[in-house]
Amino acid sequence: MKKSLVALVALAAVAAVGLAGCSSSGGSAGGKTTVTYSNFISNGGNEKNLQAIVDAFEKANPDIAVKVTTTDYANYFTKLQTDLSAGTQSDVFDVDAGSYATYAADGVLAPLDGVDASTYRTSVLDTYKTDGKQYGLPTSFSNVVLFYNKELFDKAGVAYPTKDWTWADEKAAAEKLTDKAAGVWGDYQPISYNEYYKAVQQAGGAFLSEDGKKAAFDDKAGTAAADWIAGKSGTVMPTAADGAGTADFDTNLFKDGKLAMWHTGIWMFSTLGDLPFGWDVQVEPGDTQKASATFSNAVVISKDAKDKAAAQKWADYLTSSKEMVDVRLKAGWELPAISDDSLLKPYLTAGAPANRQAVFDSLENVAVAPQLGANSQKIQDDVTNALGEIAAGRQKTADAIPSAADQVTALLK
Amino acid sequence: MRNPAGKTILYIAVSVGALVMIFPFIWTVVTSISPGASLTTTPELIPDNPSLAPYAELFQRVPFGQVIVNSLVIAVVSTVFQLITSSMAAYVFARMPFRGRGAIFLLYLATMMIPFQVLIVPLFVEMKSLGLINTYAGAILPTIASAFGVFLLRQAIGTVPYELDQAATLDGAGHFRVFFQIVLPLVRPALATLAVFGFLNTWNSFLWPLIILRDPLMQTLPVALASLQGQYSTQWDVLMAGSVISILPMFALYVFAQKYIVQGVAGTGLK
Repeated sequence: MKKSLVALVALAAVAAVGLAGCSSSGGSAGGKTTVTYSNFISNGGNEKNLQAIVDAFEKANPDIAVKVTTTDYANYFTKLQTDLSAGTQSDVFDVDAGSYATYAADGVLAPLDGVDASTYRTSVLDTYKTDGKQYGLPTSFSNVVLFYNKELFDKAGVAYPTKDWTWADEKAAAEKLTDKAAGVWGDYQPISYNEYYKAVQQAGGAFLSEDGKKAAFDDKAGTAAADWIAGKSGTVMPTAADGAGTADFDTNLFKDGKLAMWHTGIWMFSTLGDLPFGWDVQVEPGDTQKASATFSNAVVISKDAKDKAAAQKWADYLTSSKEMVDVRLKAGWELPAISDDSLLKPYLTAGAPANRQAVFDSLENVAVAPQLGANSQKIQDDVTNALGEIAAGRQKTADAIPSAADQVTALLK
Repeated sequence: MRNPAGKTILYIAVSVGALVMIFPFIWTVVTSISPGASLTTTPELIPDNPSLAPYAELFQRVPFGQVIVNSLVIAVVSTVFQLITSSMAAYVFARMPFRGRGAIFLLYLATMMIPFQVLIVPLFVEMKSLGLINTYAGAILPTIASAFGVFLLRQAIGTVPYELDQAATLDGAGHFRVFFQIVLPLVRPALATLAVFGFLNTWNSFLWPLIILRDPLMQTLPVALASLQGQYSTQWDVLMAGSVISILPMFALYVFAQKYIVQGVAGTGLK
């Protein structure tokens, strides 16, 4: 018995030592500063493009090396939160407009000094400013525009959308274009919080009060916006029961030529490419005013970064250097948030759709994203649920919106 | 069967059931050989221009060979350790009475109710202090004990007649000999089942390898496949190709273990 016990213990010890030896060695380049950067923006096909930017940076700054970790967007924030709890976060890391507020509130970000604000688009840059201090630099922005199928418009004899369209114009066109018998739908707009806060502003209202402490959308504008968004389901848009809201449902509907108008983001340009029917984009119509949703990603610097100056150099390079703009435009990899429009000219002639100017026109009226605080995800879920209930006919707008407003006010801290 | 019509109906019902079960796999394989396919709502089972391009792109985008090796090493080592620890613990719970045995067993079983998400932050901090982040050891250590395995094997050992133990003890065997030479060979089917379950769980486990393995060269299969999903859209054909490849070893293991389960029928051996 003793022999087998000893053998067992020895085996376990050998296994443990062997496994420990399988660890990858962390490289430390002698004399060089290493800046660690974890990102999600390059995941899904742009890893080589990011590497090109890193190489160009390291060539221009021979004493700084950048170590990149890439994760897919869906799992990035799980990893980031685990890292922040254990203190292993990278020096520079990505955030997006929605999650920035949480990290700024947690106090894990280092304020950036000496940022040249004129290099960036003001509205996007200000998204990452808290209490007058700049914490993040925007890496790219995208916005939501109205896509339309030219062939369906021609067949129904409806004029193409113009920059001056209002909700009434869009509704009239959608009703004319919808042909349920042929499976053709007039207008698809996701029934979600992201569309709602924008629609409230398009109707002349606001999602939150001025001081940001109460919900302000249980008024005429908020109700009109809820009717606008939820009312489309079943009339000019497939219902949730038909599959609306599932992954890629709207993309496939548009690609199959069965959708006349579609509210979605400019990130779809390269996915759609050239389609057998002609398609183009236009600025999203508003009701009393226009308001286009703009999303952006940014890089922030960790409060515990060892060499903040080197980290900021990398952040500056990644967000504003000419080499970065060239790489992005050549690869069709999103739009950098720089203010120099002359550098972005190649974007306008990069292929379908023809009216890429609409992307920049939409920036004239930006829908301000409400600051939701720490319970941001719960608030978004509650609003999306309320709209879903209205769309399914299970609740009336007059009941659902005030109760959603109460829920939101309670969740605002 | 006396009724041939009933037999035909039964066969038809079973065939339909089998078709329903196999359909998602067929769809996966078809999507993986149709380049540029997206998972549309109406599945197209006959590909327009079948090609192995998605597989080629998969091997380009992900260091697949290394990833499969990582998954295999972690799954195999973890399963072996689970078998060792679970069988030994089960033997104690089944055969060695001591005060509080029932309470401790229930407590151990209760740990199965704790969702893993609750544990990842403390576990990660612990691994960081041990310096095991981004290592095989870090990925394997939290998985070497299995409450489910203890439960399964305790039940299996409980069915082995105690007379066998007594006979062996009379012949001068201590606990270790009884364990290795009498009890363990008789619970081989349960061990095989645990091996299959343990391997499957570790092979498919996503959350822990995502957190602990950082380097793309150290990642396991589910984590590497997740990285194929972009922020706004996913290349389904490449993802499905990865899924097909990840199913194959599991399929092979199950075929092998199933034969073992059928073979390992416990004899009685009582004299």
